[in-house]
Amino acid sequence: EDVLLPAPQNISILSTNMKHFLTWSPVIIQGETVRYSVEFQGEYEREYTNESWIPICECSLITATVCNITEDISATVAYNLRVKADVGARRSEWGTLKGFFNRITTSLTPPLMKVIAEGYHLLMELEDMGPAFQFCVLYWKKGQESRMQQKVVKEVSSVVHLDIMEAGSDYCVKAQTYVEAINRSSSFSHTQCVRAQDGRSMWL
Amino acid sequence: LMSVTEIRSGFAAIKANIQARDPVRTLSILSHPHSLHKVKSSDRCCVTHHLFNFYVEKVFKHCKTEDSFVNRKISSIANSFLSLKRKLEQCHEQNKCMCGQESTKKFQQILANYEGLNVTSAAFKSLGELDILLDWMEKSH
Repeated sequence: EDVLLPAPQNISILSTNMKHFLTWSPVIIQGETVRYSVEFQGEYEREYTNESWIPICECSLITATVCNITEDISATVAYNLRVKADVGARRSEWGTLKGFFNRITTSLTPPLMKVIAEGYHLLMELEDMGPAFQFCVLYWKKGQESRMQQKVVKEVSSVVHLDIMEAGSDYCVKAQTYVEAINRSSSFSHTQCVRAQDGRSMWL
Repeated sequence: LMSVTEIRSGFAAIKANIQARDPVRTLSILSHPHSLHKVKSSDRCCVTHHLFNFYVEKVFKHCKTEDSFVNRKISSIANSFLSLKRKLEQCHEQNKCMCGQESTKKFQQILANYEGLNVTSAAFKSLGELDILLDWMEKSH
């Protein structure tokens, strides 16, 4: 009679900037290659289709102990996730994530950015973090923090033009991300300042 | 509304597959006899609320396919609908989504169109008409 394999343990989610990964500890069977399969269940499945589970085919019979579940966690509801192990005809019970996962808990990091002074133009480049992300950019003339200006960048395509600078003045910029789907923002990035000079910028 | 954008991209990925399962193109669930665009603005919230309940409670569960990718996208759409349905319920509870005679009549018509077909055909036809609903929602909100 086939002995059941131990179920995968330490099942957890790593979620940063709306990218979600399921990870678990490997099941060790001497001399054998253990394969894993992952399934998910949204709130809809729990309430309307008799708690049915949906397999993630990219994570069916894989040897890795991590699965990218971003594509399937695409609603702001509570999800259940589970993993099982297989060796040939032998298989384990399902190991289930303790508690639900809702993407609203993803950790949001400040955006990478680069501030450029091009002549008298204050420009910046922002990291493309995907369609779910918008950016709130604050910029001001150094010493005039009270007259801080704000610009919302909804799509990152190219360089963002912020302002026309006064010659010889220092301008500072900081930015945060905003994710409308979960109505949350990251903390602000470090402030970057540049000086308007004749076509050259000097980092301060 | 971000969820509508996500629903639209999820639907775009399976639209051709779903609409191919609906051979009777001459009938419509949402647009017969009148288009959603004829719904008065005062009735829009209530019709939207009714339609979200309709899709969540009647449509998606009958749209099981043999294709794992399609099933996963339907799950994404269904869970997004559930999330939006919850938000609309809050409006309904705060009396900001009142149902008049017109909206009730419009929704009864949609139900009659749905029940006039066998359940699987009706479900796939309704799912295949999702862009009609999304276009109307984005245009009117």
